[in-house]
Amino acid sequence: MSERLETTALGRLGAGFAKALAYAVMVIFAIMTIYPLFWLAMNSFKSTREFQVNMLGLPHVWVFDNFKMAWDFGEFGKLFPNSIIYTAGATLGVIALSVLAGFAFAKIPSRATKWLYGSFIVGILLTLNSLMIPLFIEVNVLGIYNTRFAVLLVYIGAGLPIGIYLATEYIKAIPTALVESARIDGAGYFRIFWRIILPMSVPVATTLAILNITGTWNEFALINILVSKTELKSLPLGIYKFSGSLSTDYGKQFAALTIGMAPMLLFYVAFRKQITKGVSAGAVKG
Amino acid sequence: MTGAKRIDREAGRAYWFMSLPAFVIYIVVMAFPIGLSIVLSLSDYSGGKMFGGEAWHIVGFDHYLRAIQDPWFWNALKNNFYIVLISVFGQLPLGFIFAYIIYRRIVKWPGFWQGILYVPNIISIIVVGLLWQSIFSPSGPIAQVVNDLSTNRFHQQLVAIIGSQGHLNLSDSAIQAVLKLGGPDAPNMFANPIPDLRGMIQAYPSNQYGVLITDLTNLLLQKWTPTFLNKPNIAMLPVLFVILWMYTGMYLILFLANMQKIDTQVIESARIDGANEGQVMRHIILPALSGTMVNSAILAISGSLSSFALIFALTGGGPSRITEILSIYMYNSAFLGQHDFPLANAIALITVIISMLLIVVTKVFESRYGGKED
Amino acid sequence: MKKVIIALMMVAVTFGAMAQVSLNVLNYQQADQAGYQEDVQIWQDFQTQNPDIKLNMEVLFNDPYHQKLQAYAAAGTLPDVFYVWPGARSAVIHEKHLAKDLTKLLGTEYLSHFTGAATNPKNELGGYLAELPQSFTYTSVMYVNKKAFTDNGLKVPTTYADLRAAVPRLKAKGIAVMMLPNKDGWPGQSCFFSTVAGRMVGDKFFNDVLAGKAKFTDKPFVDALKVVENFYKDGIIQRTDNAIGYGEGPGLFAQGKAAIILDGDWRTGAYITDKASGKALISPDDQHNYALMNLVALPGEKFPGVASAVAGTGWAIADSLQAGPKLDAAVKLIKYLYSPEVQAIRWGTGAYVPTRTDVKPPAGLEPLPSLLPAFYAENSKTCYVIDGINGLDPTVATAINNGIVDIGNNAKDAVQVAKDVEAAFEAAKK
Repeated sequence: MSERLETTALGRLGAGFAKALAYAVMVIFAIMTIYPLFWLAMNSFKSTREFQVNMLGLPHVWVFDNFKMAWDFGEFGKLFPNSIIYTAGATLGVIALSVLAGFAFAKIPSRATKWLYGSFIVGILLTLNSLMIPLFIEVNVLGIYNTRFAVLLVYIGAGLPIGIYLATEYIKAIPTALVESARIDGAGYFRIFWRIILPMSVPVATTLAILNITGTWNEFALINILVSKTELKSLPLGIYKFSGSLSTDYGKQFAALTIGMAPMLLFYVAFRKQITKGVSAGAVKG
Repeated sequence: MTGAKRIDREAGRAYWFMSLPAFVIYIVVMAFPIGLSIVLSLSDYSGGKMFGGEAWHIVGFDHYLRAIQDPWFWNALKNNFYIVLISVFGQLPLGFIFAYIIYRRIVKWPGFWQGILYVPNIISIIVVGLLWQSIFSPSGPIAQVVNDLSTNRFHQQLVAIIGSQGHLNLSDSAIQAVLKLGGPDAPNMFANPIPDLRGMIQAYPSNQYGVLITDLTNLLLQKWTPTFLNKPNIAMLPVLFVILWMYTGMYLILFLANMQKIDTQVIESARIDGANEGQVMRHIILPALSGTMVNSAILAISGSLSSFALIFALTGGGPSRITEILSIYMYNSAFLGQHDFPLANAIALITVIISMLLIVVTKVFESRYGGKED
Repeated sequence: MKKVIIALMMVAVTFGAMAQVSLNVLNYQQADQAGYQEDVQIWQDFQTQNPDIKLNMEVLFNDPYHQKLQAYAAAGTLPDVFYVWPGARSAVIHEKHLAKDLTKLLGTEYLSHFTGAATNPKNELGGYLAELPQSFTYTSVMYVNKKAFTDNGLKVPTTYADLRAAVPRLKAKGIAVMMLPNKDGWPGQSCFFSTVAGRMVGDKFFNDVLAGKAKFTDKPFVDALKVVENFYKDGIIQRTDNAIGYGEGPGLFAQGKAAIILDGDWRTGAYITDKASGKALISPDDQHNYALMNLVALPGEKFPGVASAVAGTGWAIADSLQAGPKLDAAVKLIKYLYSPEVQAIRWGTGAYVPTRTDVKPPAGLEPLPSLLPAFYAENSKTCYVIDGINGLDPTVATAINNGIVDIGNNAKDAVQVAKDVEAAFEAAKK
């Protein structure tokens, strides 16, 4: 009875209103997103003097030097390749290990799962800031302080809890019947993983990729602890050389921030289609 | 028999081959730090070389007691709970609704909206903090707009009082009225408020009437600033809003990914049978996503309790600690000169315990009310 | 022939490598502050002058610096040379004696080139000279725009009554009398209340509190807080200043939004010409209109003329360094950093006035920083900066920071804040 009512004119009016509301909220979010980026870009072309008197408008005099100086002072030329290595390495590592382990936890019965999987869940809950000093002591003991290996190892280890959690829960939702019937046909688990699970895991892998790429690209607390050589540092540490309450050169600071953020934005804009497709790929046809 | 055994062995081998690499790396990276963190929280370590330096001992749960006896601990916990609430009851539903709208193509350009709603996730937190400060600054845009409006109104009120007198030799009651416009602190600016203010007004020649009104406005108008940001509880509102804005996009992506798994034919045939969008959402999509909902809730809860950088950049816990959260309380104990590592680690572990409790509650809720996933 | 040359070169290289000492240095450096390029040059010059010493530099700034220093301290792997705060910010270095005692290491003859305040071990948290302060910092200076007063028929204020009298005239012109950007909490204590407390209760009061002979709830301390209350109530400082970040202050002051700004002596560098961009917040010509002054005389003050000051930051050598070529190299580096030449460069960037006494004032110093030596000479009586008091738990200073904010916001009165501070002190004692 009531369900019928919703298809009447009143129902359509409600739907129209809901649509308008949806647009309104999304437009507000969009403005809140685009404006800060615009603000940042504008200010990176201002002199400090101008920023202090004109925080919100367009620059009256465009200062392009800010970028060159920020690039040189921050030694971004050295940091850029590292950021790419760490981000790509950690993301690929987390995805590969998470999907593999997620399949084992979700579809291969074992009494160990309760313990192994449970221990990863604990990892989601930890504040990494409380582990910085113990981590520093550990890499010193292991003799891997000041190596790219240590950075990748820690980034992968820190990314695994959420990665494994999402991958396991995702693969659990894939009908077990698919695995069972392949088993009956005589396929081993590796074959099943390669032929069935992996192709169907593209959405969760894409999700993990976007989570890890942005997280790793902006990370600075752990890498600060893990390396001391400029040759091994990543962009956020360069950016941090510019930001402080005692700052006297906002122009350079904003230029540094823009340099740090632009690659992420470009990456996202360039691959937006692939990301959307990736997230929606491998739909299960019942 | 042998065949089944071989299969078992193959299963075991596959299981360990697939799970062990992740587990080993995880243990190497996390196990030692977590263990040391627990030990430190129970110890009297007071800084300096941890191993091979000054000796330190296990003293038990003293630091946990110290934490829970501190009123600031409870203040921080309360703020963390606000964040949990906005995450679970704000980000998740909003993220779900956005995902649904985009999935069902209810709005135009779904790809564009998906993109723009996710972008906040990739904006550097340092930028968000800086922007935040300049927008809410007393010289920022909000204050400017509000002050321009109130200046106009103040002008009119002044003109109404002074103009009605017809001359600048104002009566006591008129001066009182002018002072009153300036609020409770206004008389403090003068040694003898009424004669002093009268003297000041009389000093203006009559052709300087406009200047007088402007000057009196400067003097007496109470400038608006976002003082509501200084009040406990209310100070958290804008912070919560920023959190909502930043992370809703992440849940949008999570929900959207899982909606794509739903068989579109089921939805189409339901629509052909006369079901409307609301019914499709209630009877097909929501049940299919209940598992994702729980997972997202768990991510939201753990993320809310362990979050640090955003609030550190936005408010640093201020003013006067009213927006402090547990992780900032912990950070300040460890790194802000106090180097009280035992207390810091105790706070971190209490946070973990609270997250666990909340997650158990979520799981219980799911098993009681949750729908089926498959 | 070729072979011989190559062989000779190899010998030279190995010999060179053997003779080379490498030093780990943790440097504190901000890339967007005036003086950055000069600092880079200072380090490069040392490297070229001393090819036998190889510097492994790690450069950090702000929170990451302090995190890393804590981590090094905990692991027992401190760099050979690092940068240290005299007080609570580097507490672990002082308390655990992780830096060498420079009084012993450098000797009194060398230290005689520095002011007594800089080499007094009592000015550092551990009671020994863990770092040699490059500067002695006055934390609460009035930067006065003299023109704002004279243009409005007022005299440059020296008493509280002068400030009060200026309120109606300046405010009518849209100028605040005094600005205290206190969004970050610490400036209220460091750049203002420390001097107020020094004037009203004196250092002895804090010593008495630490000895258990006085309480923060005692009347004199409450009265000191009431002075702060009055600054806001009488309209001298605007309550809205509590929403202004520390970084925003100079821009607003240079625009003429306030006639006075309360700030540390380290801030003169913010107003002068930046070498990189050639721009100044206050042009050298206009700087003559400004003065650096001690806080005005306060009604009821018991210690007239004192100003809060504290030993500045400086370089330290790790305690773990054994006597040998490495320690020699570290001492050589330290002596280079404190040499009159290097100190003169830093003076010229407006960073500070050196504690080294035989440094010649750099040529072309702009008017505002040139005022500092006279300011120091006129205000020789100093008092504690509260967050730098040895033995006072940092949580107490934090409670005072918060209390000043609360008073400014009219959220709490002096009595309530005094109670909060005492409670924090009691809690820290346990």
